[in-house]
Amino acid sequence: MSLPSVLRFLWLCCLSLSGSLTLAQTKPGFTQEWRFAQYLSDKDAFDEAAYVLGNISPDGLTPAQLDSLLFFRGWIAYSTKSLDEASQRLLQVSPKSAFYLKSQYFGAYCLAFQGHRQQAADVLQKAPVPDSSLRELRALQLGGIALLQRQYEQYDRQRQAFSYGSYAMANEEKRMDDYRKQLQSVKRRSPVVAGLYSAILPGLGKVYAGKTKQGIASFLPVLTLGLLTYEGLRKDGPLSARFIGFGSLFTVFYVGNIWGSVVSVNIKRSEINRVYDNKILFDMHIPIRNLLN
Amino acid sequence: MITRFCLICIFLSGTCSIKAQSFLQQADSLLTAGQYLEASVAYERVLFSETAPEVRFAAASGKTQTLKLRGRYTLAIDFLNTQIQQTGTDSLLFQLRQEQILCAYLAGQFENTISLTDRIAYIHPDLPLSPVTQAVRILSLNELQRWPEAAAYFKRLAYGSGQDTTLITAYDQLPKLKSAKKAQWLSTFIPGAGQFYAGRPGEAVLSILVQSAGLYFGVVSFMQHYYLSAWGVGAALFGSFHAGGVRRAEVLVNQYNAKKINAFNEKLKEQTLQLAGQQKE
Repeated sequence: MSLPSVLRFLWLCCLSLSGSLTLAQTKPGFTQEWRFAQYLSDKDAFDEAAYVLGNISPDGLTPAQLDSLLFFRGWIAYSTKSLDEASQRLLQVSPKSAFYLKSQYFGAYCLAFQGHRQQAADVLQKAPVPDSSLRELRALQLGGIALLQRQYEQYDRQRQAFSYGSYAMANEEKRMDDYRKQLQSVKRRSPVVAGLYSAILPGLGKVYAGKTKQGIASFLPVLTLGLLTYEGLRKDGPLSARFIGFGSLFTVFYVGNIWGSVVSVNIKRSEINRVYDNKILFDMHIPIRNLLN
Repeated sequence: MITRFCLICIFLSGTCSIKAQSFLQQADSLLTAGQYLEASVAYERVLFSETAPEVRFAAASGKTQTLKLRGRYTLAIDFLNTQIQQTGTDSLLFQLRQEQILCAYLAGQFENTISLTDRIAYIHPDLPLSPVTQAVRILSLNELQRWPEAAAYFKRLAYGSGQDTTLITAYDQLPKLKSAKKAQWLSTFIPGAGQFYAGRPGEAVLSILVQSAGLYFGVVSFMQHYYLSAWGVGAALFGSFHAGGVRRAEVLVNQYNAKKINAFNEKLKEQTLQLAGQQKE
C-alpha cells in the first residue's frame, strides 16, 4: 500500500469516528422522535410514549408539526383514559391539520363521556363532514348526546339522517332507537308517593320505586317491632318500659323506612340513568373507532 | 471503488454501533440512578434503532429490570413476550424466557409460572434451568399447595448444589390443615364448637354466651306468656347469632389454614433460596 493511500485511509477513519461521535450526541429531530413515540404507542408503552412526546420542545416546530404533536399527545391521553387531557389537546388541533377530523370527533366523545354534553354537541356541530358516512356519523353522535340529555325531539331530528345500512353503524343506530323507546317508557316515580305508600304499609314505597327485595326486607323488622309494641301495650300498659322501649324502636324504624322509600326513588332513577348512559356512550364510541381509527 | 464502499460501510456501522452503545450506557446509568421511566425510554431507543441481537438482548433485559423495579410485573411478561418473538438466538431466547418465568412468579401468576417452566424445558431440552428458575418453580408449587411435586424439585435443586438428598426433611411434615366444613357442622349442632375447633376458645365462649342469652330471653318470655317477644326477640337473636356463629367458624378455619400454609411456605422459601444461592456460587 502506497503512502498516499495509507494517509487517505487514516483520514477516512478519523472522519468516521468524528462523524459517529457527533451523531451520538446530536439531539434527535421531530420526525425521528415522532416515529419513536409511534413505535412505543404501537407496543402499548404509553407512559414511555407520553414521556418522549412531553420532552419535545414546541419551539421551532412548524404549525403542522405542532398540530401533530398536539394530536399525538391527546391520542396517548385518550388511550390511557385520561379523558380530560385528551379532550383538551385534541380540540386544540387546527383545521389545517390532517388530524383535524379525527381530533374533533374523538375530542367531542371525550367531552361527552366526561358529562360535558352541550360542549360536545357544540364541537360536533362545527365538525367537518366531507362525505355521507361522516354526515351520518355526526348525526349518530349528536343523537347520542341528545339521548344522554334526554332531549327526545332533538334525537328524532338527528335520527332522520340514519340510513340503518352502513356497516360501521347500522347496529348502533338500531340500538339507539331502542334506547329512546325504553327511556321514554321508563315510568317516572314520585318520591312523595313512595313515602306515602311506605307510611300506609312499610316497604311498599320501595316496591313502588322498583326495589322489591329491599321492600320485603324492610317490612319484616317494622312488622316485628310493631307486634312487640302491641304486646307491650296490651299486657303491660302504655307506661310500661316494654311498651316505651319497643314503641320507640318501632317509631325509628317506621319513620326511617318512609325516608328510605323517598330516597330509593332517586337512587333507582340514577341507577337506570347510569345503565342507559353507559349503553349510549358505548354505542357512540364503536362507530367513531370503526370509521376514524 | 470497492475500498470506498467498504469505508462507507465502516462509517455507517460505526456510527450506529456507537450511537446504540451510547444509549445503552445512558440507560444503564439512569437505571442505577433510580430514574426508571427515563431508563425505560432509553432502553426502548436501543430496541428501536439496533438490530444486533446481543445489544437488543441487553436493552430488553434492562427494560425488564425497570418494569420490575416499578412493580409492573404483568407488563414485563407482555413485553418479554414481544421480545421473545423477535429474538432468534437460542441462548438469548432461553435467558429471556427465564426472566419471564421470574416475572410471572413476581406477578403472583403461579399457574402461569409452572406452565412457562414446563414449556421452557420442552423448548430448550439441552439447556439447564438456572437455580433461580428452579427455585421459582418450587416456590410456585408451594403456593399452590402442590407440595409432593415441590418436594421432588427441591431434592433435585439440593442435589445440584451438592447436598445429600437423603438428609432433606423440609417436606416431611406437611402442615395439618383443618376442615371448614367440619367447623360449620360443629357450630351448627354445638354452639361455639366450630370456633373452638379453629383454635379460638375466646370467640367460642363469646358465641356460646350470646346464643344462650337469646335463647334464655326467648324461653323466659314464652313462660311469662310474652309469645311475641319470645319469637320476635329471643328466637330472632338466637337464630341470628347461631347463623353468624356457623359462618364465623368457617372464616376462622380458613384464617387458621392460611396462617399455617404461609408459615410453612415461608420456611421453605428461605431454604429454597438458600439452596439456589449455593448452586449459583
